[in-house]
Amino acid sequence: MTTAVQHRPLSAADLEAILDVTKALAAPFDLMTMLGEVVAAAKQVLRAERGSVWLYDEPRGELVLEVATGIRPVRVPWQAGLVGACARSRRIINVPDCYADARFDASVDKTSGYRTRCMLTLPLVDHKDVLVGVMQVLNKIDGVFDVDDEALATALAAQCAVALSRVRMMSAVIEGEKMRQALEMAREVQMSTLPGTMPSVPGYDVCATFRPADLTGGDTFDLALLDQGLLVVLGDATGHGIAPALSVTQMQAMLRMAFRLGADLETAFLQLNNRLAETLAEDRFITAFIGLLDPATHVLRFHSGGQGPILCYRAATRDFERYKPTSFPLGAMEVPSLRAPVSLTMHAGDVLVLVSDGIYEQENPRGEAFGEARVTSLIEADREASAAVMLARVLDAVHAFAEGAPQADDMTIVLLKRHDASVAVGEFDRTIDALDPIVAFTAEAFARLSLDDRLRTRVDLAVEELFTNMVKYGRGSAPVQVRLRAVDGGVEVSLIDSDGAPFDVTKAPDVDIDKPIEEREPGGLGLHLLKRMADRFDYDYAPATGRSLITVRFSVAGLAGCG
Amino acid sequence: MLSIEEGHGGAVVIVGRLDAAEAASAQAFLDQVKGTVTLDCTGLDYISSAGLGVLLKTQKRLLGVNGKLRLAGLKPHLLDVFTYSGFDQLFEIDRAS
Repeated sequence: MTTAVQHRPLSAADLEAILDVTKALAAPFDLMTMLGEVVAAAKQVLRAERGSVWLYDEPRGELVLEVATGIRPVRVPWQAGLVGACARSRRIINVPDCYADARFDASVDKTSGYRTRCMLTLPLVDHKDVLVGVMQVLNKIDGVFDVDDEALATALAAQCAVALSRVRMMSAVIEGEKMRQALEMAREVQMSTLPGTMPSVPGYDVCATFRPADLTGGDTFDLALLDQGLLVVLGDATGHGIAPALSVTQMQAMLRMAFRLGADLETAFLQLNNRLAETLAEDRFITAFIGLLDPATHVLRFHSGGQGPILCYRAATRDFERYKPTSFPLGAMEVPSLRAPVSLTMHAGDVLVLVSDGIYEQENPRGEAFGEARVTSLIEADREASAAVMLARVLDAVHAFAEGAPQADDMTIVLLKRHDASVAVGEFDRTIDALDPIVAFTAEAFARLSLDDRLRTRVDLAVEELFTNMVKYGRGSAPVQVRLRAVDGGVEVSLIDSDGAPFDVTKAPDVDIDKPIEEREPGGLGLHLLKRMADRFDYDYAPATGRSLITVRFSVAGLAGCG
Repeated sequence: MLSIEEGHGGAVVIVGRLDAAEAASAQAFLDQVKGTVTLDCTGLDYISSAGLGVLLKTQKRLLGVNGKLRLAGLKPHLLDVFTYSGFDQLFEIDRAS
């Protein structure tokens, strides 16, 4: 029979028993202990021979009987039998004679040899009205369960439900915390293997960065000057979580070891692949670019296991060469031999661009991906900038593009730029105090680029006037870039303001220099002078990035006729 | 870097670079001079529009009290700055020999 929950005043003895139970239920914080306490409490308060608790697994729609640690729990669909009926109705079911009730499943008795006479089945509903599970108590010691027992059991069930609910929430928190700590540790290991400083390579400008996603991805990079040359690595292990973070760490350690033991590129790559194939799990692999640059001959040789696209900006033609991977992802399978590595020569101004898919695949809220074209156009636009500036520009652009969408994967960029011997590039903070370092930079650039010293005053004037304008009127905080380039018969000066409002300096009004002194004002003189002295004076604004580019050319021929 | 100080015979001697970073200190010094003042530019290596502004302000003040600023020993490579700005019309300029 099914009985509606009835409210009967509990006796003082009943209350005392329940309070005792409540105290006992306050202590445990692991589920198995709590289940034991709940069953013991039910047996004691209701004077029953046995008891059991079925927990409700809502996502799977099942009721689960935790029997004992180490044994697979019993699962039943949540509609089945007496427990199911109780879970659905959320009411006590009191069955005085089990073998007379069709819902009773006698198979358990058959297995255990125990005979169930009577049974109370109670819904466990917590304080938030959530079904936590179902409790069953079997065989009242001196008869059958009566209406008083039902009332007592109802009060007890409420206490048990709250206690169980608390333990479940707590264990979810503990599990989450354990996972978080494990991820953090894996991340720390992964980060610790990245080079702390960029190697100093004569004739080259190298820069790399690693931006971890919230959940670990499996990116890594390496840049190191070894006996074999400059080692350049970008790797990405499949998947998210602890495993990929640790596999790339392992890869990097193996690789450094191989090169330290004197391996050449082919041997290192092959050995690394075959060792990873042995040790990595079946479904894991690592895509990796592994290259060695000889800074003396400028030849870069590389293998790439599934890592691509590999881009090389060619300054002479102002376009990108695109290389495909030379081999399978590392660790996917053992291979007996490799085909020859790709070999390319870095010329002045060329840039090797290695970018992980976390950048290419970063999406904005409309589901569009950042893509390769944005990366190449940013590099092309900043082709004369330092590798660090290019890298910062790409990261800023990805960040702006995402419009707050979460970073789904690790982002890694490795840039290797060969110096352009005809260009000097400097970056300066937006403050008048930067004028001294600017003068030092210009002096060094004149010497290095073998520029004609007679142009020095004009160049200094151009840089100072344009720079102080940016300090006074620019709205940005990013450093200002100054470039000097040797050109036929003279020098080209460029200033780049990467986050300013557009202002075409070449259109500034002329100053009337014939006014009497009382009417003369100092304003506007700087640009007035530049317009008079320069062979060419150009302004370009890129609205997409807010970049102002001012270019001024001076020639020795242009000095003629003046002082 | 710039130094500006009183030299022998009443001239003001200016040495170094008169740029935007040094304009304020040069102005502070020149605000104190009186009468007809010769600025000895023999050691002046560089001047920008900020420096021209300092000279203009000083010249206006001195002309108002029947004084003036004369520029002496200006290096040839600085002359076109004065020419293109029309400042050669505002100052008496003695070129370096």
